[in-house]
Amino acid sequence: MSLDLAKYRRIFLEEAADHLGEMSHALLGLEKELAGAESIDTLFRMAHSIKSMAASLGYEPIADLAHKMEDRMEGVRRAGRVRDSAELAVLFQALEALEAMVAAVADERELQAADESLLARLAAPSDGVAAQGEPPILSADPAAHPKKVRS
Amino acid sequence: MARVLIADDASFMRQMIREIIEPEGHEIVGEATNGVEAVDLFKELAPDLVTMDIVMPKRSGIDAVKRILADHPSACIVMCSALGQESLVMEALQAGARDFIVKPFKPDSVVATLKKVLEKAD
Repeated sequence: MSLDLAKYRRIFLEEAADHLGEMSHALLGLEKELAGAESIDTLFRMAHSIKSMAASLGYEPIADLAHKMEDRMEGVRRAGRVRDSAELAVLFQALEALEAMVAAVADERELQAADESLLARLAAPSDGVAAQGEPPILSADPAAHPKKVRS
Repeated sequence: MARVLIADDASFMRQMIREIIEPEGHEIVGEATNGVEAVDLFKELAPDLVTMDIVMPKRSGIDAVKRILADHPSACIVMCSALGQESLVMEALQAGARDFIVKPFKPDSVVATLKKVLEKAD
């Protein structure tokens, strides 16, 4: 069977707009309170939801970026707070990039992969955010990167 | 054919599951948008099967599964998981969920999984 992709594209745009609005609101909340549990949870769930919808429609750049953001927020959830303003800035940049990608879908423009340096900053450990523009510190030793158990 | 409760906070996903399984003759008896609603609607509707998203507000899908199974040990629940949720799926299966389907959904795979679970439940 095949699904009506035009219909799901329309639903995606509606839901993504709502989710991005909630994410923006949550980030503004975290600006005031870095340990805002509700805001942290909202960002995690909204990123997860956008990832699943985008993957269902084959919008891989959106799914990839949302997945990275979801993973980052899972780390923030475990830590119980956004570490500092540098980490918050990365999250704002990720949201901005997601908004631009969703706008591209709405305008029927070709989707471009997210900026590599943004993806790298999102992937940096949440308890040690690299300064903006700095490459993440990675080790060649697989043992230094324990398998993630939750995302 | 089965009476199905869909639990997912995303309307997109609820509609997709509905569109995949209704043509198979299943009846969607309810839709829950969070884990608390999922538990409440299960009690109210007594569906034959629940498709349960893992990440939901108010109460996670995992918590909802545990809550439902505590009162209804024979409840037939299929988890809806996504990339990177392997450990959560394992937790749900250990708690008593019957099987799982993976997002993005492949319609044939969803239909086959639900068929298998319902046959075993008979």
